[in-house]
Amino acid sequence: MRSRSIALVGLAVVAIIASACSSAATPVPGLKIGLVTDVGTLNDKNFNQYSWEGAQAGATAIGAQAPQSAVSSVSADIAKNIQSFVDQKYDVIVTVGFAAGSDTIKAAKANKGIKFIGVDQSPCLDAAGVEDPTFGCKGDAAALLPNLVGIQWKEQQPGYLAGIVAASISKSGHIAAIGGTAAVPAVPNYMLGYANGAKSVKSTIKVELQYISAAPDKAAFADPAGGTAFAKQLLAKFTDVDVLFQVAGLTGNGVLQAACDAKIYGIGVDVDQFLSTPDTAKCTVVSAEKKLSKNVSDQIQKVKAGTFKAGTAKLDIGSNDVGLSPFHDSASLITPATQKLIDDAVAAMKAGTLKACDENAFGGCNIPK
Amino acid sequence: MLTGLFDIPVLGLVLQLLDFLLNVVTVNGPVILSLATPLALGAMCGVISERSGVVNIGIEGMMLASAFSAWLVASVAAQAFPAEPGFFFGVTPALLIGLAAALATGVAFSLVHAWLSISIRADQIISGTIINIVAFGVTAYLDLLLSRTSQPSGGKFLAFAPPQALLDLPVIGWLFRMVLAQGPITMAAIVIAVVFQVLLFRSRWGLRTRAVGEHPKAAETVGIDVIRLRYQNVLAGGLLAGLAGAWFTIDFGTTFQTGMTNGRGFIALAAMIFGRWHPIGAFGAALLFAASGALGTAIRTTPPPGQLGEILTSIPEQVFSALPYLVTIAVLAGVVGRSVAPAADGQPYEREATH
Repeated sequence: MRSRSIALVGLAVVAIIASACSSAATPVPGLKIGLVTDVGTLNDKNFNQYSWEGAQAGATAIGAQAPQSAVSSVSADIAKNIQSFVDQKYDVIVTVGFAAGSDTIKAAKANKGIKFIGVDQSPCLDAAGVEDPTFGCKGDAAALLPNLVGIQWKEQQPGYLAGIVAASISKSGHIAAIGGTAAVPAVPNYMLGYANGAKSVKSTIKVELQYISAAPDKAAFADPAGGTAFAKQLLAKFTDVDVLFQVAGLTGNGVLQAACDAKIYGIGVDVDQFLSTPDTAKCTVVSAEKKLSKNVSDQIQKVKAGTFKAGTAKLDIGSNDVGLSPFHDSASLITPATQKLIDDAVAAMKAGTLKACDENAFGGCNIPK
Repeated sequence: MLTGLFDIPVLGLVLQLLDFLLNVVTVNGPVILSLATPLALGAMCGVISERSGVVNIGIEGMMLASAFSAWLVASVAAQAFPAEPGFFFGVTPALLIGLAAALATGVAFSLVHAWLSISIRADQIISGTIINIVAFGVTAYLDLLLSRTSQPSGGKFLAFAPPQALLDLPVIGWLFRMVLAQGPITMAAIVIAVVFQVLLFRSRWGLRTRAVGEHPKAAETVGIDVIRLRYQNVLAGGLLAGLAGAWFTIDFGTTFQTGMTNGRGFIALAAMIFGRWHPIGAFGAALLFAASGALGTAIRTTPPPGQLGEILTSIPEQVFSALPYLVTIAVLAGVVGRSVAPAADGQPYEREATH
């Protein structure tokens, strides 16, 4: 009995040492890719997870060794994690999240030989090449930091398509969207697109656009119980609302819960929420998606192919970098007429004849006063 | 009918405000009571342990850990015992097992707190802080490990559906909807508050608890086992915190998120103080805090028309979020009434040598 335990422990130690050695000692040719997560977990069924899947897909596509990840538990970890990849001479470092933008710019400036991919970031520099917190962005980021690309999206486009779906499945002609905060541009982009898409189907439709918080705080994006309560309160006031679009991250998962409780339709955001939040799948008709995995994989392949383009990559529906998720169990709700409206809108947006909202110089939406 | 009065300068505005407040409360009664539930249960957890002289600031952590175990255990149990939601509150074996797990988790954490603060006589604030940190870290880590397997949750209790005739009653119909259109944990919280209030002030246990919290040495001289009573009360508080945790993941919602209690355990402490260490008072304070939040939301989403709406929307929304805490500070400072903690609150008790 005893000798067996000793043997098992010995075996375990050997296994650990062996695995540690195999990853450290055998050099594999090709690019070394590291991913630094946003604060949270790697398997968050959101930005971190899908960016990570993209990094893995990208590495496979270019025949590089498997990428490594560094999880950030607090925001101070982001800079540390980036530096540890820099110290280990990685070739490509992917940083995830708007909050990692500053640290990514600093690291890119100090390490011109390393390519940086910033997910949900838009490097904004002044003429001297220093990060510009006032968002004047006078400096040419692509020239000043030729090794950094920030990925952003035209959220209004998938929002617009979600609006078409919402207006088509609504029986009451009254729909709503609940956003975390208007202070994060992506949120109003989604919501304004949603309103415009809905109105394109039915000009008389009533669309409630509501924000949970004034600032990008925990209430806005990390409080599901608060999201449920907010949505229930809105539904108590507007009892005929029958489609609810959530644009509020984890808080929004609570919004979908409220939609399920009220037996109305919910629309997910950013990722395919039918898959990512199975508890609310039964009332999640569709999700307005950023194709994160594809986006990150594409950028990694561009590094390998030498077509890497610095600055901000504003991804849009043109190359299917954003769009609607599959309808899954709700496919029967989507009539051929609705599908045609969606297809026509996609084609028009690709052709540039349809703007999902009143776009500003940065490709986002001007928020109506 | 009274709208004619709304045109009177100043007084009309006040009447409009009252009308708006009444409207917010009556329309959102169920949401307000729901949101008050974890605050009230957490506050009562604080009341029961502080009344016997043990400060508990680990309520947040206890709630979070219980929320996690309720969710996890219900989810696993649902695989083992698949069942259709029952007639009564949509109850399933999995949900009951999850609820039991939440209660057990609350008790387990409070046992640690009791041991540290009663037996070891460690600093009770530090003990509570440790519980908060450990609960956050452990649940976040386990959630990370588990989220690799995307298994569905065990579902949740359903809200009771009161008969429509009751809800349609004039004047008081909304009150029935507020109290009856709720899940079992919210309803239990109401019952607990009433029973706890009676026990605390009308029973032998209540008298002993208060004696131990005010003057343990005197209590000991008349034969009350201070240590034992404090243990009992802190563990009972753990049950309440466990129930509050279960509310998050198997009553109001169905999924666990890292840090999802989002500071409500600390707000519960404010409710306890505002409620002057009375169970009913704590419940009332929790209701007031929840109503204040609902009011802020209502002003932002559906402001009243006219001048009143202009005035209310010009107030930054943070003011409404901060309102409960400003009131709590005022109460603590003795500006509005006075709230005094039990005299021996937070002081470890040491038996004097008997030989």
